[in-house]
Amino acid sequence: MAEMWITMGPQHPMTHGLWTLRVKVDGETVTDTEAELGYIHRGVEKICESRDFTQITPYCDRLCYVSAMTWAHSYIMAAEDLLEAEVPERAEYIRLMAAELQRLASHLMWLGAFGPDIGNLTLMTWCLRDREMFLDLLQELGGSRMHYNFPRVGGVKRDIPIGWADRLRAKIKLFEHRIDEYEMLLDESTIWLVRLQGVGYATAEDQLNEGVSGPNIRAAGINTDARWTNPYSVYDQVDWEPAVEKPTSVKGADCYDRYRVRMEEMRQSCRMILDAIEKIPGGSNTHYSPGDEMILTKAPTRAPEGATGTSTYECTRGVSQFYLQGGGDGRGKNPYRVSIRSPMFITIPYVAKTMIGYKVADIPAIMGSFDPCIGETDR
Amino acid sequence: MIRVLGRPTVEVIIMNDWLGLHDFIFYRTRELCGWAFEGTFLESSSNDVAFFIHTLLTCLITFGGILISMFMILWIERKVYARVNDRRGATTALRSLWVGENGVTAGEWWNMIPYGLGKPVGAINGWLNRVAGNDGHEQEMVNRVGNRSWYGVAIFPGFFQNLADGMKFLIKEHMVPNRADKVIFELAPFLVISSTVMILGMIPLSSGIYGANPELSVLFAFAIFGIAPLGVFFAGWSSNNKYTLLGGIRSAAQLTAYEIPLLLSILGVCIMAGSFNFLEIVHFQHSSGAWLLFLMPLGAVLYLVSMIAEVERIPFDMPEAEAELVEGWWTEYGGMRFGLLFAAEYMRVYAASILFAHFFLGGWHSPFAGIVPGGPLIPGIIWTLLKAWLIFTVVFVWARTALPRIRTDQILEFGWRMLLPLSVLQVALAIIYRMYLFDASALDTSTSGGWSWDAGLFPWAVPVLTTAFWLAVFWVFMNDEDDTEDTERMYHVQTLTPAGTHTAGTE
Repeated sequence: MAEMWITMGPQHPMTHGLWTLRVKVDGETVTDTEAELGYIHRGVEKICESRDFTQITPYCDRLCYVSAMTWAHSYIMAAEDLLEAEVPERAEYIRLMAAELQRLASHLMWLGAFGPDIGNLTLMTWCLRDREMFLDLLQELGGSRMHYNFPRVGGVKRDIPIGWADRLRAKIKLFEHRIDEYEMLLDESTIWLVRLQGVGYATAEDQLNEGVSGPNIRAAGINTDARWTNPYSVYDQVDWEPAVEKPTSVKGADCYDRYRVRMEEMRQSCRMILDAIEKIPGGSNTHYSPGDEMILTKAPTRAPEGATGTSTYECTRGVSQFYLQGGGDGRGKNPYRVSIRSPMFITIPYVAKTMIGYKVADIPAIMGSFDPCIGETDR
Repeated sequence: MIRVLGRPTVEVIIMNDWLGLHDFIFYRTRELCGWAFEGTFLESSSNDVAFFIHTLLTCLITFGGILISMFMILWIERKVYARVNDRRGATTALRSLWVGENGVTAGEWWNMIPYGLGKPVGAINGWLNRVAGNDGHEQEMVNRVGNRSWYGVAIFPGFFQNLADGMKFLIKEHMVPNRADKVIFELAPFLVISSTVMILGMIPLSSGIYGANPELSVLFAFAIFGIAPLGVFFAGWSSNNKYTLLGGIRSAAQLTAYEIPLLLSILGVCIMAGSFNFLEIVHFQHSSGAWLLFLMPLGAVLYLVSMIAEVERIPFDMPEAEAELVEGWWTEYGGMRFGLLFAAEYMRVYAASILFAHFFLGGWHSPFAGIVPGGPLIPGIIWTLLKAWLIFTVVFVWARTALPRIRTDQILEFGWRMLLPLSVLQVALAIIYRMYLFDASALDTSTSGGWSWDAGLFPWAVPVLTTAFWLAVFWVFMNDEDDTEDTERMYHVQTLTPAGTHTAGTE
């Protein structure tokens, strides 16, 4: 049969965002692929050059609309490096919990989108139901459902409210049972295994060479978790282990490995949060007013020319990096240059190539298992 | 058998459903026509005129019964699906039956029934609210998740949603793609829809309510069932769209592969019952004393699995896999053509459920009709519909909520390598059962039914032992855990380029 090109996207159920995957098919078999990115390029890096360091945070929230808290945190770490700000330990704990809650919400969004990719809509409604719990918790911190603008240079915007810790514990305990429920629905289902196992192999070596990071490469057996290898914040003080899956095939990690590693990561996030809420300095049921020195320290607002700040942060989809250079407009109030390394921008073209040889029906399974987010990809 | 030509014998009347609309209309139209045309030039052909009127009326009644009760399965699907998905929204929750649409007692449709006739319902509602919840945190959840205003008629919340949807489809524009093969493009949906409606004409709702009853009605119904795949392929090809093309080809491959096990499992039913006629197959189950579900559980499972594939529902909905093919072969259809294709799909599902009730669940006979005397008092059509709704809920909706979608090559492999041999085995088993375990002399067409399946052991020996055997087989397969699962992948796929051997970017 003659080969033909199919254009999937920019509006297609498989894409999870705005991008185009051009697929060359021979019948049902994929013989070549090509990824086209850049549909929602907003020029965030350029915009940031005319904003001061506090004003940049909302733009970083919007880098990834599924995982706003981690991206804002990632930026704030670079800004603190640049401005040499100290962060109170209580604020670090609050940031850790917020980031891990965001990771739970993001992974739930991934699983919820992955379900319809494979053909199960129940998974989506279950995951969105549970994600709602964590969005409620995050809303209590940041005041909004998706874009929180929560971290500040030198601390956080607001302390945890009274009673938040109890709600957090109850919801995390409930959610740990819910993870078991998901696994009962999925891992017990032969069809789920048939669709995921042996599909979408990606070797550790290939992924390292391409620069893939995060859960995708941890599924191949390499622990590149920045929270573990290069502990920032207070990740070395709470009780957790990175989720690393040992692939069972020499061909590398398949979709099932990537699914497993994210499920395990959700468990670890729960463990981390439960531990952090016990260890938080100043007590979990006290509330400091905004601007209190327990949660926010005074930080300089200007960075001299030549000063640089970087951060390496484990986002929900891989390692995100920020590079800031001081001394921009407004006599150093704004950065001179902001550079953002997005994990998915590197991953998506690689994933497009791993699809070659599989069936058309495997495209959403493979793409979904890598958890694409186009907001951060196109920046 | 066309029994209507002579007055039924006494036994048949007892075994039949008492609500014999078919015969009633037949004799009344004859009498009326004979009286009306007496002395006129039409006197000699009054029976033909009567036959015409009678056929028209019975077909209308059957179609109407099926189409109106189809709202029920749409409603069931919505409710059950929402329930499993844990959504408690407006038209979505079973609880909305008694708590109203917004999770509070909004609606209170029972108060709208005149003369206070709905007051008992209100009392039951109050009791349900007390015992089944609607307390504080629950209500909060309901308001948070399901804060949708309700719409539709207040008698059955959400029941007429599909009428509203249908109206919406009617006013949508009908668009034909520029490069489409226009004649075939227009023809295809009508091929699918009209053939689907024709199946309904063959399906009796009870022994007294049916449109037509040819001797080989089973063969006829399934011959028509095989027309729709042609329309699907036409639609996929003529739309001139790559997604519809892939969907059409997938559909052709899948329907061809699953038509054979489906027909073979039905062949087993026909061998057991010794007839190709719906009425006789159902009557056989009553007069021999056991439903065919208990005599051929394997056949029932094969029928259901291949039927899910035939009506293209999850987990076998590859032809319209929305994740990669957008909407598969009907991507390009809009407006009422899409609505009708959608309706046709549900008609096929409904037909499949009713056929299962007839083939395996004793059709319009009540359970234990021979032992429990009250059953036959309920009209047979109620039993038929109840069984069909049950099958639809338990099999079709549950499978849809719980299962992901299988890949094309896996569907075909499953069909050819698993279902086909098993259905051949089922046909062989049916022949053996009919020849060696069946006692034709014990057939009893009276109300109590017969004892044909005792095989000289004890009453119902054959169905009881058969069911126990297949349940044991099922149990063994379910508990057969493979320990090598952790060290090696259970499922590998063959690919064009062996996966993992290429380096990204070099091809």
